Amino acid sequence: MKHPLSLSALAVVLGTGGALAQDVTLTLWTESATAPEGVFAQEFSEMDNGITIDVREIRFDDLVTDTLRAVATNTNPDLIAIDNPDHAAFASRGAFLDITDRVAASDVIDIEAVFPGPRASLTWDGQVYGIPRASNTIALYYNRDMFEAAGLDPDSPPTTWDELLDAARTLTDPDNDVYGIAFSARASEEGTFQFLPWAQMAGGGFENINADGVSDALALWKTFLDEGLASPDTLTRGQWDSTGTFNGGNAAMAISGPWELGRMATDANFNWGVTLLPVKEEGGPRASALGDFNIAVFANSENPDAAFQFLEYYWSQLDRVWPEFTRLPSVAGVELAPTGDDRIDAAAAVFTEQLGYAVNRGPHPDWPRISKEIQDAFQAVLTGQADAQEALDDAADGIDSIIN
Amino acid sequence: MRRALQSMRDGIGFDTMLVILALSYLFVFAGLPLIYNVVISFQTVDVFSLGTLLHPSAGAENYENIFDDRQAGTVLWNTIIFTLGSVAIQFTLGFALALFFHQNFTGATWIRGLFLAAWVMPGLVVGVLWNWLLSGDFGVINHVLESLGIIDQPVFWRSNPDTSLYSVMIANIWYGTPFNMILLAVGLSAIPEDLYEAAELDGANAFQRFWTITLPMMRATIGAVLALGVIFTLQQFDLFAAITQGGPAGSSTVAQYWSWELSFREFDFGRGAVISVLMIVVVLFVSLFYVRSTKAETQL
Amino acid sequence: MSPALTNRLMLLAALLLAAVYLFPLYWMYVTSLKTQSSIFAVPPEFLPGVPQWENYATIWEVANIPRFMWNSLVIAVGVTLITGLFGSGCAYVLARYRNGWIDAALFAVLMLQVLPPSLMVTPIFVGFSWAGLLDYPRFATVLAISAKTMPFFVILCRAAFMTVPRELEEAALVDGNSRAGAFFMIVLPLARNGLLISALLVFMQGFGEYVYSASIIADNRLQPASIGMTNYLQPNQVNWNAIMAFAATYVTPILAAFVLLQRQIVNGLTAGALK
Repeated sequence: MKHPLSLSALAVVLGTGGALAQDVTLTLWTESATAPEGVFAQEFSEMDNGITIDVREIRFDDLVTDTLRAVATNTNPDLIAIDNPDHAAFASRGAFLDITDRVAASDVIDIEAVFPGPRASLTWDGQVYGIPRASNTIALYYNRDMFEAAGLDPDSPPTTWDELLDAARTLTDPDNDVYGIAFSARASEEGTFQFLPWAQMAGGGFENINADGVSDALALWKTFLDEGLASPDTLTRGQWDSTGTFNGGNAAMAISGPWELGRMATDANFNWGVTLLPVKEEGGPRASALGDFNIAVFANSENPDAAFQFLEYYWSQLDRVWPEFTRLPSVAGVELAPTGDDRIDAAAAVFTEQLGYAVNRGPHPDWPRISKEIQDAFQAVLTGQADAQEALDDAADGIDSIIN
Repeated sequence: MRRALQSMRDGIGFDTMLVILALSYLFVFAGLPLIYNVVISFQTVDVFSLGTLLHPSAGAENYENIFDDRQAGTVLWNTIIFTLGSVAIQFTLGFALALFFHQNFTGATWIRGLFLAAWVMPGLVVGVLWNWLLSGDFGVINHVLESLGIIDQPVFWRSNPDTSLYSVMIANIWYGTPFNMILLAVGLSAIPEDLYEAAELDGANAFQRFWTITLPMMRATIGAVLALGVIFTLQQFDLFAAITQGGPAGSSTVAQYWSWELSFREFDFGRGAVISVLMIVVVLFVSLFYVRSTKAETQL
Repeated sequence: MSPALTNRLMLLAALLLAAVYLFPLYWMYVTSLKTQSSIFAVPPEFLPGVPQWENYATIWEVANIPRFMWNSLVIAVGVTLITGLFGSGCAYVLARYRNGWIDAALFAVLMLQVLPPSLMVTPIFVGFSWAGLLDYPRFATVLAISAKTMPFFVILCRAAFMTVPRELEEAALVDGNSRAGAFFMIVLPLARNGLLISALLVFMQGFGEYVYSASIIADNRLQPASIGMTNYLQPNQVNWNAIMAFAATYVTPILAAFVLLQRQIVNGLTAGALK
């Protein structure tokens, strides 16, 4: 197995500049210039390899829309960092460059080392269409101080749904504006991201969203809302704002991902911990969501060699995505360097384990439509407008007609 | 007769050119995109073929799909409530403020100017701010209402299907009121003072003066403000995106948001275009109303 | 009540109304000085505990604010010029005559402002890419925004021109002025206030425009402040404080200019055309 950081690999990355025509300018579209690909692109441009990368930041909500328009009019960039469930839409229609052969020939990139989840998200029809930027997933954050105050053991946080529900009931304290749990059931991709793991732990998935047991997952969510264990605004609030209420001491537990760690470490003035998502029953299957982006080259790029060279450079820097960006590398064998904050390092171990259970959304070219069916189902049930099984059956019909 | 001839001779061609210039500009940059929308509403459009005009024809299928959609009724109703409610309240508040600031008290013009601040604010920021203000738990509005003893329990404006549409409406009214106020203020200031003085001498009270002088004299302005108000409200998008995303469970989805969702979240550009076409039909009636309202204008 | 007391009471009421109305604006400033999690504090914090001035430092360091502001200004000025140039003449003619053609033109002007920019932007983008306009992104954006502001401007200015008595213009013509002379010497000065306010509203719309700028301008260096601000909106992490600090930074100069110029702008309103 090739280690991502072997010296020979670095030499390849840094040394091939001379072989290319001088002064190539590439464009990269991304949600943020301060994300790893933005920072690495900057470094890559400053190297003496004749390649400059212009980075364009696009608001996340507009990223797919703008890229679609650009592809339709042939004004797309050379490189893009794109959310993993959106990858298949572009790969399946030939908008992304098939890099299977280049990867096979590369001394730097070892696509076999990518975890199965992220790898599936960038593969279409057996061909490879990009590299993962990083991966993330969700787990359960909890306020250790509140656990202690409520007589719960902060060292044995809930491990099953029943325990989670009990803990939420115990911890909810309306007089002090404290909810038991914070999560997001918004009608957006975030809501799907948060709901699917529960459906999967109950034996379902996006291709069988009406499986027996998924209605139990919905029932759990509905109990959180109906009993006032979670804020009614859970229905319209994203993960970041929901976890904000946890940091402010207004929720005792929160379901979210490693992207919260930086803010939590500075803002939360209490002891907190992270644990795996509770499973349905003792010994039941684990599941979690698979998040984060992939980086791809467009098929019509005039400088595919230079663009691929950037992918190789990105790969060679994978060991930096955790310590510098608190993102989890999607590749086996990359060690997570200590960050200097014990709580964050402890969380890293939990998230890494949880990532092992992460399940893809798709890959499917029409993922957004599948996701919409799922959102419609849980929103209808949580607002009391539909019966759980009925709503899930409807969603399953809708998804069937999209998939088949 | 002599006057008419003179104005004809001295520049009917020039006048026509002025109008044609503006209309051609609008035709190119607004008319053609509208036509494109109408055309693709009859087609099956794949995301990656957006760049061409020729797609497989879908006949009336997109239209049938939309009318059969279980969301259609809610969306129609929401759009009507949202538009009429927003425009009526904005207009009333705007008119009241315009009349209030029309009284010549110290600082009136200065403070009136401050109200225009809302116009400088980017839609996204306004949306986010109202999202927070209307939040059930940490929202300022609930906090104030609770402190005043008006409510005992926090109201979850955004997340209760019964109030979600109104939460966006509140924000939209806030956003649109200064526009109404400032335009109506311009209209008010154009009414000659001597008309009021004469009426006062005739013994007309304030209400009668408002009814017999202010309103008739402001017909042109009121028609313009109402027509533009409807159109602006039909264009409101940022606030929905920031406050409710049309939810929960579609309870605050209006036509323009649904159209965007179909096009850019589900990539069904054909059906998204159908809603645009239906909105064009609505605005057609608004425009007719406006043009009719100009018939009654008083030319000074 | 004595006139002086009425005056005071009116002023007090006006200040109260303004305070209530401007609260969201205040909230923007306060939030820009809060920590990330105190945004979500219960009960809400009406004053920032310890003002986080770093929020401003951060955006000045990370984002090139002067460049963003300059681009916003270029776009807003461009939009105001194009809209004013094409729109004023049209509005004047539409106010002067009264016949079927004019009705049709008015109708067309309104109809062309139907759809929200988020739905118009795709066809516009496609069209611009055919026409090669995407190579001049700021100019292309100005063209697109002007199509949105023009109907609005025409309708408003038409109402302003309606307030100019036709007799005055005709008298000027009888006095030997040319048509253009009468327009520039009589009509324009009399309709000045309406035109100014409309142009100002158009300018403000151009300054804060988001949808067209975001889609058409691919080069970061040419993007306006409304786009720069949204770079803090990331999928799972939103730096709300930075966004509010950014918004405050770019809204404040306009507000300041507004307050300073407001004697000219808003006083013009009450100066009325016929005094």
